[in-house]
Amino acid sequence: MSLLQKLVSMFLLFFLLLMCIIPSFFAFPPNPSATSFGAAKYVAAEGNKESEALLKWKASLDDNHSQSVLSSWVGSSPCRWLGITCDNSGRVADFSLPHFGLRGTIHSFSFSSFPNLLTLILWNNSLYGTIPSHISNLTKITQLDLSDNHFTGNIPLEIGSLQSLSNLDLSYNNLIGRIPFSIGNLRNLSLLYLWENKLSGSIPSSIGNMTMLTRLDLSTNNLSASVPREIGQLESLVGLSLSFNNLHGSLPPEMNNLTHLEILQLFTNNFTGHLPRDLCLGGLLVNFSAGYNHFSGPIPKSLRNCTSLFRFRLDWNQLTGNISEDFGLYPNLNYVDLSHNYLYGELTWKWGGFHNLASLKLSNNNISGEIPSELGKATGLQMIDLSSNLLKGTVPKELGQLKALYNLTLHNNYLFGVIPFEIQMLSQLRALNLASNNLGGSIPKKLGQCSNLLQLNLSHNKFIGSIPSEIGSLHFLGDLDLSGNLLAGEIPSQIGQLKQLETMNLSHNKLSGLIPTAFVDLVSLTAVDISYNELEGPIPKIKGFNEAPFEAFMNNSGLCGNASGLKPCTLLTSSSKVAKRKSNKIVILILVPLLGILLLLPIMVGCLYFPNRKRRERISCLGERQSPHGFVVCGHEEEILHEKIIQATNNFNFNNCIGKG
Amino acid sequence: MGGGNGQKSKMARERNIEKQKAAKGSQLESNKKAMTIQCKVCMQTFICTTTEVKCREHAEAKHAKSDVYACFPHLKNDACKKLISYSTRKHLTRLSLFFLFLYAPSFAVYLPSKKMARLYPLALFLSFLLTISPSLSTNSEGNALHALRSRLSDSTNVLQSWDPTLVNPCTWFHVTCDSSNHVTRLDLGNSNISGTLGPELGELRHLKYLELYRNDIGGKIPTELGNLKNLVSMDMYGNRFEGEIPKSFAKLKSLRFLRLNNNKLSGSIPRELTTLKDLKVFDVSNNDLCGTIPVDGPFASFPMESFENNKLNGPELKGLVPYDFGC
Repeated sequence: MSLLQKLVSMFLLFFLLLMCIIPSFFAFPPNPSATSFGAAKYVAAEGNKESEALLKWKASLDDNHSQSVLSSWVGSSPCRWLGITCDNSGRVADFSLPHFGLRGTIHSFSFSSFPNLLTLILWNNSLYGTIPSHISNLTKITQLDLSDNHFTGNIPLEIGSLQSLSNLDLSYNNLIGRIPFSIGNLRNLSLLYLWENKLSGSIPSSIGNMTMLTRLDLSTNNLSASVPREIGQLESLVGLSLSFNNLHGSLPPEMNNLTHLEILQLFTNNFTGHLPRDLCLGGLLVNFSAGYNHFSGPIPKSLRNCTSLFRFRLDWNQLTGNISEDFGLYPNLNYVDLSHNYLYGELTWKWGGFHNLASLKLSNNNISGEIPSELGKATGLQMIDLSSNLLKGTVPKELGQLKALYNLTLHNNYLFGVIPFEIQMLSQLRALNLASNNLGGSIPKKLGQCSNLLQLNLSHNKFIGSIPSEIGSLHFLGDLDLSGNLLAGEIPSQIGQLKQLETMNLSHNKLSGLIPTAFVDLVSLTAVDISYNELEGPIPKIKGFNEAPFEAFMNNSGLCGNASGLKPCTLLTSSSKVAKRKSNKIVILILVPLLGILLLLPIMVGCLYFPNRKRRERISCLGERQSPHGFVVCGHEEEILHEKIIQATNNFNFNNCIGKG
Repeated sequence: MGGGNGQKSKMARERNIEKQKAAKGSQLESNKKAMTIQCKVCMQTFICTTTEVKCREHAEAKHAKSDVYACFPHLKNDACKKLISYSTRKHLTRLSLFFLFLYAPSFAVYLPSKKMARLYPLALFLSFLLTISPSLSTNSEGNALHALRSRLSDSTNVLQSWDPTLVNPCTWFHVTCDSSNHVTRLDLGNSNISGTLGPELGELRHLKYLELYRNDIGGKIPTELGNLKNLVSMDMYGNRFEGEIPKSFAKLKSLRFLRLNNNKLSGSIPRELTTLKDLKVFDVSNNDLCGTIPVDGPFASFPMESFENNKLNGPELKGLVPYDFGC
């Protein structure tokens, strides 16, 4: 190599070195909080310990991705590293790397090197392995969040020694085993989230010692046994969720002490017995969900004044009791679902006060009485399901005021009367189910104004008259069920306009006539049933009809077509059917007069014959005697009569003549 | 989960508790707050789907002295967690896919800011991570719908009941689930909705009915909709959709009804759609489609009205070499 080349290469090398060194000066400025050289040295030394521990952990991480995330972790002072914050003394106080996709374990993390660590936040990474017991070395830690990772194994007993902890979140991992009893030692804990793990065993009674606890969520685990009484000691509790476990038994009455509860979720367990009597005594309960259990007894009276309620779900239990007894005002109530219980009573709530109610679900109970017209005042209602109850009375016309209503489900009750025409005002209605009631009258034409209707079920009522043609203007209708009524007349051809209709059930009515030819436009039809009517004629040549089983057509007057069980509609058959009808008419036209003539003939003959006989008799009278006055009397019997007449009229004396014709 | 309780299979789960702040007042207010992240330092609020990146950007831009968690302690918030993780994951996936095909040095060219520099190498590897990451949380369908909601403008509040804090979306209005709490129907036709759709809709693997007709939704039809293997009906007619009909629709093997008429779709009708044996109704009228009309498979039976008012060149001419005029 020439001298020039050597010089150039050396210069380049020097330049490169400079390029490496200079940035590090900017990356790692001297620690501003260092007050003296000695302190700085101490800090540097301890900082070194911490940085070493962090780097060691970084090195233990699995993949290149994690390494690149932590690419700023170089040097000896960790305070400017990604996710690291130091306190005034230069020690690591916060270690927060949520949501970075770090993959590895925390076994090699030297917790003892971080006595000043206050927060350790690693949620939503891909960390796995167990939570090591030496985590207890983090003596000052206040927030520990390892949720949304793949941690397995047990929660270490040593967790109980982290006395400064106020937030502990190990949720959404694969942790197994029991909740350690030592957890009760965390006297300062205000938030404990262990939800969505595979924890088993019972809730430890030591839980009662965590009196600062405001939020406790143990949901979605395999916890069993019953709720310990000690839970009543958690008087600061604002939110409690035990849902989706295997907890059983009754709730301890001590739960009545939890007066600050805003959220109580107990759903999907095996709880039995009664609900706590004094629920919402503090007037703060906002969300109460205890569905899918075996709770029995009444809805607690204390809930009647619970004006803070927003969401109230007790569905799928065995609750009894009278719901009408002053159920008060719930200005905030948005969603209520008490369906699938044994509740009785009437809907005598003060509906005008339910401004916020959007969803009312009380189906499958024993609720009686009428649907109150005041229900129309709860103008926020979007979904009403009162099906499978003992409701009677009519469908109140005031329901037309519920402008936001998109689902009205009232099937399986004892409602009677007509569908009020105010139903046309429900422009948002998507689903209307009035099946299995005693409704009557005709199907209102105005129903055609509910242009957004997707599902219409009026089956098993007593509707009469014909199907209104206005049904054809429900352009988005997907399912139509009018079966089991007394509908008569012909099917209106406008039904053929329902291009999105997929299922149509008109069975068990008295519909007659031909199937409209317009039905060939029902392009979306996949399931049809027109059985048990008086329909005749060909079925339309569309998939929904052609593929239907015989049960869909049976018991009609003479349907024909290319479907199972039906006679094929040949041209002859169809025209001969028509001809047959015509010829029937002709036959009748001929037969009747013929029969008439035949019947009348003997009479006519008789009429003609009898006068002939009389004449003949007169002609055969032996000896005509002409009386002096000119009428003819003859015959043997007539002779006797003649004698009598002569005698009676004194030989036709003029005095006995009463008149001359 | 143990237990043989048959009712459990019909459950709707609610995990509201993580949303509860110490805030007093009605649940309504809390819910609204739950949907927002508020920077504790300056009290500026962001909606919950704000990615953590944006939170960091705000913190670093406005409050350089405090760390992100002084501004956003609520980043821990559960629903926010899941939403952030979801949207950022998707956001980063797209980025990573883009950058997969670039050389590392070229990253520098695209850096809008030094702060974003951290993300791009991350993004590159995140895509691999995603393919081997475990399944999304049990509320993935709710997350997907909530992500959809954040893209849509809903002037009449039909989506008001879409509470992301609930364990699944089965009690949301206009959402129908089956007995295993999977979303099977989305009925948002005629709902005064505008905005765009996103890839998250493809996550609703059990969806059978996607009804979004007669709204004001624009943008492209996401190709991810092709992942909806169980879809029976897709009605997106009467919107402002643009771009092409995705070829991925050929994967919709259960599809019976596809109505995309009255939009601003362009490009050609993908030939691949002829493989959809169950397709009974196909309407693309009143768009800007070009090319030829397929004639194979179900297309043999579609009436001409299904194709009218486009720039189509008539039916595909079959011969030894099928050809189409292209667009």
